Amino acid sequence: MADWEIWVVIGVLALATAATRSSFWLIGHHITIPKRVQEMLRYAPACALAAIVAPDLILAADGHAVLSLSNLKLVSGIVATIYYLLRRNMLETIIFGMAFFTALRLLPVIQ
Amino acid sequence: MTEPSSAAPSPYVAEHHEPSWREGVKTGMPSLFGIGAWGLVVGIAMIKSGLTIPQALGMTLLVFAGSAQLAALPLIASGAPIWVIFLTALVVNLRFVIFSALLAPHFSHLPWQKRLLLGYTAGDLTVALFLQKYPSEAPQLGKLSYLKGLLYPNWGSWQVGSIAGIFLGSTVPAEWGLGFAGTLAIICVMIPLMIGRPALCGVLVAGAVSVLAAGMPYKLGLLLAVLVGMLTAMAIEEGAEKWRSKGKHHG
Repeated sequence: MADWEIWVVIGVLALATAATRSSFWLIGHHITIPKRVQEMLRYAPACALAAIVAPDLILAADGHAVLSLSNLKLVSGIVATIYYLLRRNMLETIIFGMAFFTALRLLPVIQ
Repeated sequence: MTEPSSAAPSPYVAEHHEPSWREGVKTGMPSLFGIGAWGLVVGIAMIKSGLTIPQALGMTLLVFAGSAQLAALPLIASGAPIWVIFLTALVVNLRFVIFSALLAPHFSHLPWQKRLLLGYTAGDLTVALFLQKYPSEAPQLGKLSYLKGLLYPNWGSWQVGSIAGIFLGSTVPAEWGLGFAGTLAIICVMIPLMIGRPALCGVLVAGAVSVLAAGMPYKLGLLLAVLVGMLTAMAIEEGAEKWRSKGKHHG
């Protein structure tokens, strides 16, 4: 992407923040959101994050899915997920996950 | 923007109230380290995905939404169309619409510029902490000071962490794979949102569709994955409800 395109992206991202965080502040009145819409609002972010993370973990650089132990990102991601479920601490999980990923990457035994 | 004339004027909500401000700062304090660290990770990820230092600084100062920024980075790196990036950020941010609806009625009497700014800076944690202290929308002395006591340090520690990450990231070689920290951060944000069967199924379906449809042009596979995942979650939720109400009728 060209420099100006990235600045346009930054602009639309700022717009996305304003549109979601400030929406009801600007309307100002009390509004009850219908149940169906609430469900949608609740499930959408998790689905979006999953849709971003999954290809990053599973697809190799050439675009093919690698579902084996040779996929270090996938293995590290699963281990980090288990760590987070046990400890419920984001910072620790990131540090542990990075350490695990780095160890796998540097240990020639596994590769 | 005009205010409903029926609303009782309550100027004292907006007045500075020192004890409330201090209490807000104190309540938010324990979370500041975590916010700063999360900022650090996003800062590093921005640089490692190829943004220049001015671009990364501009993004952290203007966008101020960690998960949306992390979501946008791989899309920027792969040259996805701008409208796809916008839609993706919007979807990732959708949870804020609920927060906005919960928080805004407390401050509906303020001028609109102020409301825009307060809403813009109110992230996940702030809203949760504020509503714990003020569950009722009734005007109360010091409400705004308390909110500001939560907001300002939160904003500050995010920016400090993020800017540190930007400069740190640019000194660390790419082979270290620090960009992976961004992926791990997304996983940590996602797990608490996956609780319950509908959400869990939605996430699994969205992930699978996203991998299978990764080859689609313009990164449309991503939006398709979100849509299918969301519909799955809603269908399961409604199916479970029907099942329950049937059980009631028969038993």
